[in-house]
Amino acid sequence: MRKSLFFIPFVLFIALAAFLFSGLFSDPRQHGSALVSKPLPAFLLPDLMAPQRMLSADDLKGKVYLLNVWGLWCPTCNAELGFLTELRQQGIEIVGLYYVQPQDSAFGETFDLAALQKDVAKKLAEQGNPYQLNILDEKRSLIFDLGVTGAPETFLIDAQGQIRAHHVGDINPQNWPALAAQYQAVLQEAQAAAALTQQSIGATNAP
Amino acid sequence: MIPEIGQLSLIFAFALSCLLALVPMYGSYSGSVRALLLAKPLAIGLFLFSGTAMACLMYAFYHSDFTVINVASNSSSMLPWYFQLTASFGSHEGSMLLWVTILALWTALVALFSNSLPLLMQGRILGVMGFICVGFIAFSLFMSNPFERSLPFFPVEGRDLNPLLQDFGMIVHPPLLYVGYVGFAVSFAFAIAALIGGKFDSTWARWARPWTLAAWLFLTLGIMLGSWWAYNELGWGGWWFWDPVENASFMPWLVGTALLHSLAVTEKRGTFKSWTVLLAIAAFSLSLMGAFLVRSGVLVSVHSFASDPSRGLYLLAFLLLVVGGSLFLYALRMNAVRSQARYQLFSREVLLWGNNVFLLTATLVVFLGTLYPLFHKELGLGSISIGEPFFNQLFYYLVIPFSLLLGLGPWVRWKQQQLPPLLKPLTLVALLALTLAIGYLAATQSLAANLALLGCLLGAWVGMSAIGEVYQRAQQLGGFSLGFTRLQASHWGMTLAHIGFAVLVVGVAMTKTLSVEKDVRMKIGDTVELNGYHFTLTDVYALNGPNYGGQAAELEVFSNGEKVTHLHAEKRFYPLQKTVMTEAAVHARLSRDLYVALGEELSGPSWAMRVYVKPFVRWIWLGGVLMALGALLALLDKRYRRAPAHVDVKVRETTAAFNGAEHA
Repeated sequence: MRKSLFFIPFVLFIALAAFLFSGLFSDPRQHGSALVSKPLPAFLLPDLMAPQRMLSADDLKGKVYLLNVWGLWCPTCNAELGFLTELRQQGIEIVGLYYVQPQDSAFGETFDLAALQKDVAKKLAEQGNPYQLNILDEKRSLIFDLGVTGAPETFLIDAQGQIRAHHVGDINPQNWPALAAQYQAVLQEAQAAAALTQQSIGATNAP
Repeated sequence: MIPEIGQLSLIFAFALSCLLALVPMYGSYSGSVRALLLAKPLAIGLFLFSGTAMACLMYAFYHSDFTVINVASNSSSMLPWYFQLTASFGSHEGSMLLWVTILALWTALVALFSNSLPLLMQGRILGVMGFICVGFIAFSLFMSNPFERSLPFFPVEGRDLNPLLQDFGMIVHPPLLYVGYVGFAVSFAFAIAALIGGKFDSTWARWARPWTLAAWLFLTLGIMLGSWWAYNELGWGGWWFWDPVENASFMPWLVGTALLHSLAVTEKRGTFKSWTVLLAIAAFSLSLMGAFLVRSGVLVSVHSFASDPSRGLYLLAFLLLVVGGSLFLYALRMNAVRSQARYQLFSREVLLWGNNVFLLTATLVVFLGTLYPLFHKELGLGSISIGEPFFNQLFYYLVIPFSLLLGLGPWVRWKQQQLPPLLKPLTLVALLALTLAIGYLAATQSLAANLALLGCLLGAWVGMSAIGEVYQRAQQLGGFSLGFTRLQASHWGMTLAHIGFAVLVVGVAMTKTLSVEKDVRMKIGDTVELNGYHFTLTDVYALNGPNYGGQAAELEVFSNGEKVTHLHAEKRFYPLQKTVMTEAAVHARLSRDLYVALGEELSGPSWAMRVYVKPFVRWIWLGGVLMALGALLALLDKRYRRAPAHVDVKVRETTAAFNGAEHA
């Protein structure tokens, strides 16, 4: 009994080493989102470029797209624009979620939509525009509901409006293949579902 | 050419370390005195060659030799010369070489100052040190070579040193910290040598004590300096962040502190043997694990070097070999050891046991807090993060009983202590502590039932008790003035270190509770009031540093209409690294710091400013310095300076020991 007690430190250490070993092969910055396989939270927010038009989660249903959280104030987001634009040219749908940083009225900061629209248009003209449309989240409500910790972050949304993947950090040629595989899988799923619906419609239409 | 000389020196050092790991160990098994005697010159040679390698790297940095990849990515020609030198250990590769050099330095020091040790013991200790050197030099040489060249296409300008590291604190912090970290390798080597030899008498503890003290001294200074540096450089007035890498240095410190106390019991009373050996192994294992955590990228931290799984894999394999191997050896050897000393429940042994229990619980808290996110994730439970509240709260609970015990400890005798003789002095100390703590807080009108009161009470209790105990001891040793001179240096050391802890506790509690801060927008000429201090912004102008630009702000501080000081805060922009750095303006006094950080320029023109008044924050570092001074005093104690035995005598002893073993 006493003899085996002295092996406790050794056994504990081996267990620790096993954890450290598996830890070596996973990225500590990558984290599973609690929202994955949950529907996109409900929202009603204006379109950045056409603020009179209000967008909701239902408006975006029916297609597979990437929801990209970004802002002009974020250098990594700006660096990412070029690659995202390439992706759009490959036919991938990308919806922007514009992250407005908190304004501190004590420091005389106010939100100026017209100036923002101008700056965004200028930036997208320079760097390329990957976005089908941009959602303006001035109060960061949807951003809060999505559990966004910073920008850029990207969510993969399927045709039913469910979140399928959550990517933190920029998308670049190195990390895109992994996300692309998920995107393709979700897309095929959607096409299969659409084909099935077609079939069943065809079936009911048949005499 | 110089980098090639460095590379060659490192290869020589590697060869010597291999010999050091093998030859004396062979000697210790075969009884070959010649093999054992070879340990010392091998250790010294090892240090000379690794020192040369480090010097060559520094030379390459000093001369901005951008053909060396390491120099090109971590230095620039615009960097001031002293930062060019320190940039040599600003990167993963360079810091690894520094680690190797310091490890070799400790090895050489052990070789030079262990003449009083039996030859057999010396050979084993140096053999273990040699083995550790092999692992780290191989890592430096094959996995992260600091001398790698980018010829024939090399950049004409370097990418500059990370601005965070361009600070005086950075010149001293890493070397001190490494000296501390690596110093525990010596205690470890002593423990392993004892395990191999199977002898755990109190002489073992007496030999290991000064080395442990020295390592602990440097680790304390290193950690304190890091904290002070973060306070000045990160611009938000914090001094400890519970960052995984800070924790990685704090864990060996906690275990090292436990080891120091446990070694005292083993030396004086011949008990706690298996415990002490385990602590010696644990302290160095945690140092190694720290190196692994910083360099493998398994945890997210501001300190991490760029991560690379193959490096992590190497370090993990080495960790398994060293730590796993030593713990296995421990399990095999230790179950035969019995302690024979007897002691009563109320005795110094039991109180020191309590000290160890609390220090190790604290280590466990830090350990779990640091690694729990990793466990959680690897078990497939998703990602979580553990922040300050967890550590703070648990440390509050731990510090209370720990401090109460600490105030009691030095009064209590070995073996057995009767309570009645202690009642009177301890009541007096307690009353004095109460008066002092409550009196001070009442006088400054900050008396409230809060953490500050608790901290002051505990601090005063520990401090008063330490002073009272020295006073009483001096009285016993022949009156006040005579007694003070008769007290041993190590006793003074212990007292000073305990007072240092008291000062630290007061500093932490007061700063945590009574700090005030304000975020303001200021134009030139504006005044902001905080805790009776009026900060007036007098000027803001553009900065022109050697490798940075930015803005500087000048402030005048008044209190009750009288000028207190002039403050100069900077916000620097380093164009090569595209990084903004805050250089906070700090006016330090023993009772409070005034701290101003310059923020962004806003329209107006006006500036965002962050202003703090932090009471007693200096006490945190003062406490650390006192602890380190205590360790220094204890190191200077006479009993660690024994006359070395002559080599011939030792040779005869060793031969006799082996012949005896053969005859038996």
